[in-house]
Amino acid sequence: MGKESNLSETVFQMDNIRKSFGENNVLKDISVSVNKGEVVSIIGPSGSGKSTLLRCATFLETIDAGEIRYRDITAVTTTDGKAVYRSSADLQKAQRRFGLVFQQFNLFPHFSVLKNVMDAPVSVKKQSKEAAQAKAMELLRKMGLEDKADAYPGQLSGGQQQRVAIARALAMEPEILFFDEPTSALDPELTGEVLKVIRLLAEEKMTMVIVTHEMPFARMVSNRVVFMDGGVIVEEGDPEDVFGNPQQERTKQFLRNYQQ
Amino acid sequence: MSFSTMLSTMIPGMFRTCAIFFLTLLFALPLGLVVMLLRKSRFPVISGITKVFIAIMRGTPLMLQLLVWYFSPYYLFRLSISGYRFTAILLGFSLNYAAYFAEIYRAGIEAIPVGQYEAAQVLGYSKFQTFFKIILPQVIKTILPAITNEVITLVKDTSLAFSLAYSEVFSIAKQISSSQTSFTPFLIAGVFYFVANYLVAYAMERLEQAFKYYD
Amino acid sequence: MKKLLSTLVSLACAVTLAACGSGSSSGSSDAVTYGFLDETLGTESYAIGFRIGDDELAETVTAAVKALVKNGTYQEIAEKYPDIKDYLSLKAEDISDDEIAEQGSGDPNFTFKHGFDLDYPPYSYLQDDGSVGGFDVELAQAVCEYLGWGYEAVPFNWDFKDAELNAGSCDCIWSGFTKEGREDMYTWGITYSSNTQMIMVSSNSGIKTLDDLAGKTVGVQISTSAAEMLEGDRADLAATFGDLKIYETYTVAYNDLKAGAIDAVAIDVTAGSYLIANDQ
Repeated sequence: MGKESNLSETVFQMDNIRKSFGENNVLKDISVSVNKGEVVSIIGPSGSGKSTLLRCATFLETIDAGEIRYRDITAVTTTDGKAVYRSSADLQKAQRRFGLVFQQFNLFPHFSVLKNVMDAPVSVKKQSKEAAQAKAMELLRKMGLEDKADAYPGQLSGGQQQRVAIARALAMEPEILFFDEPTSALDPELTGEVLKVIRLLAEEKMTMVIVTHEMPFARMVSNRVVFMDGGVIVEEGDPEDVFGNPQQERTKQFLRNYQQ
Repeated sequence: MSFSTMLSTMIPGMFRTCAIFFLTLLFALPLGLVVMLLRKSRFPVISGITKVFIAIMRGTPLMLQLLVWYFSPYYLFRLSISGYRFTAILLGFSLNYAAYFAEIYRAGIEAIPVGQYEAAQVLGYSKFQTFFKIILPQVIKTILPAITNEVITLVKDTSLAFSLAYSEVFSIAKQISSSQTSFTPFLIAGVFYFVANYLVAYAMERLEQAFKYYD
Repeated sequence: MKKLLSTLVSLACAVTLAACGSGSSSGSSDAVTYGFLDETLGTESYAIGFRIGDDELAETVTAAVKALVKNGTYQEIAEKYPDIKDYLSLKAEDISDDEIAEQGSGDPNFTFKHGFDLDYPPYSYLQDDGSVGGFDVELAQAVCEYLGWGYEAVPFNWDFKDAELNAGSCDCIWSGFTKEGREDMYTWGITYSSNTQMIMVSSNSGIKTLDDLAGKTVGVQISTSAAEMLEGDRADLAATFGDLKIYETYTVAYNDLKAGAIDAVAIDVTAGSYLIANDQ
């Protein structure tokens, strides 16, 4: 029973999100909510708005209208059809709730691997150096990178860099972790090591939202799949249903194209 | 005048040249940061004024600027400029070089990928931390070669202080040259500038090496 | 470090070589001497220029200079500068006792700021020991000492002498300063010396008269009386030259003359004599 109630707890919710770049309506009234321990994959063709959705959720883009909540913290509401962002103190609190892994890793090149992982906990969360370092080493071990602690990002392969980026995000102990096409910038032979780590996190019931093009991976790792196209959610549900028995014509077509 | 007298007459000038050099760097390097921030200001009035300032500083001869800084207190406000010579020189050099440094900083900052800011924002770094911890160290590494060029130019530009008759090494060389009808003082000054620039280049190379710990 | 040392050594060699080179070239050309044409370009008088309206200061300094002529200090200083001795125009017998300032009559709290060009031997220049000196500097110092004033040397860039004087960084322009043509621009103190603008040529140039300069290249230092003369009263003469080259300093012009790059130099006789006399 306890596990059940945990799962139903909403960690992240965005409602009726609208976002346009000039004339181009990228997000048209989109609503997504994620429960604790859930892994949600967002799939869809390029330009469908899935990356923009993630960037809006993580405040890298501002929305035009809608509501964003991280559990009990409301970050954005809408009055008279216009989005109103809360005070920067509230946004900061919300910011602590989530982590983001970028397509291009965006590691800090002048920091060692260890410092990349432990600096934010020390500088932002004011953790002690010792505690942050111990935690960082534990995360690097989990990523299979403890021997790279003293290396610099430029000396690592793309797959290794992305694993450091995941460790860096996890070090802040987020309630929810967003991935923005985490393997798109990697050579095919390096994607496996990153996906393995994400699967490991899924097994540990880490709440995650993954924008990805890796369909078999999404099917295997997710509790729920969201298919987006043209700025709207076309279809969402259990991965077996969406991949195995898609209801919408556009979903069928997308998956067909993908398999070819 | 013997060679050694010539040299000993020029040595105080070398110290004055060094004083202009080091004090200009001391003021212009941080001032350039301020100018760059004003240049990138969100307020169009501030960034506009700063743009004009930079254009004037880079678009007019430094010698002219030195004259303006030295003589304008009198011509504009009827203030006595007695004893103000060195201050005017430092003012002229610092503002001129701050403008150049500001543009170098700006180019360096604009070369930093936006992803660095985004990563810092998502991790919760404050604007201040982002700039000084994440961005600035990377900027310094990229702009060091450009800074080296400016610093070497500065060593040679110090001779422009002669227009305000400040007895740095070049002014003294010129004076000895006319009293002794000899070019040797210019050779000594030349060696001095060369050695000074050699040391600058050496120091900057070491600094660049120090930043090579990452790619 | 090793690289630096070797660079230094090679540069030192270059300096030495250059020094030797200039010595030997003048040694081998013993036969060639330098002198002036008999015809002059014109004469001028040197006086002390004060800001317009500073009449009282001008009169005090003038009276003090006269006192120094009367007590022989002026002539004593002149002895040290043989190149200009003959051109110093003041004579003790021409001065009456009621014209002279009283010794120690100046305000002891006043510091006299003497503005001059440090590039103008033998009036104001760096001496062999590296100190500031010259006839004008010594005379100005003697004036201050006589009156009981403090003395402050304000060497300036000759091109900006008026700006310096007007802005008050100095009290006067006193550095072989020609009065002719500037009569209304300053309040003038005493005229203490005269000078003649002449043409300097080498003995083997074949140039004997001003007419021989037709088609020749003549050098002159920028902003000097000789330059102003060639651009003003004697522009007709300058028009006959092949070329009039303007130099930053006479040292360079003189070296060009020796090297044969130019045929003649238009120069004050005192400055010209100084160049010839000091050319080792």
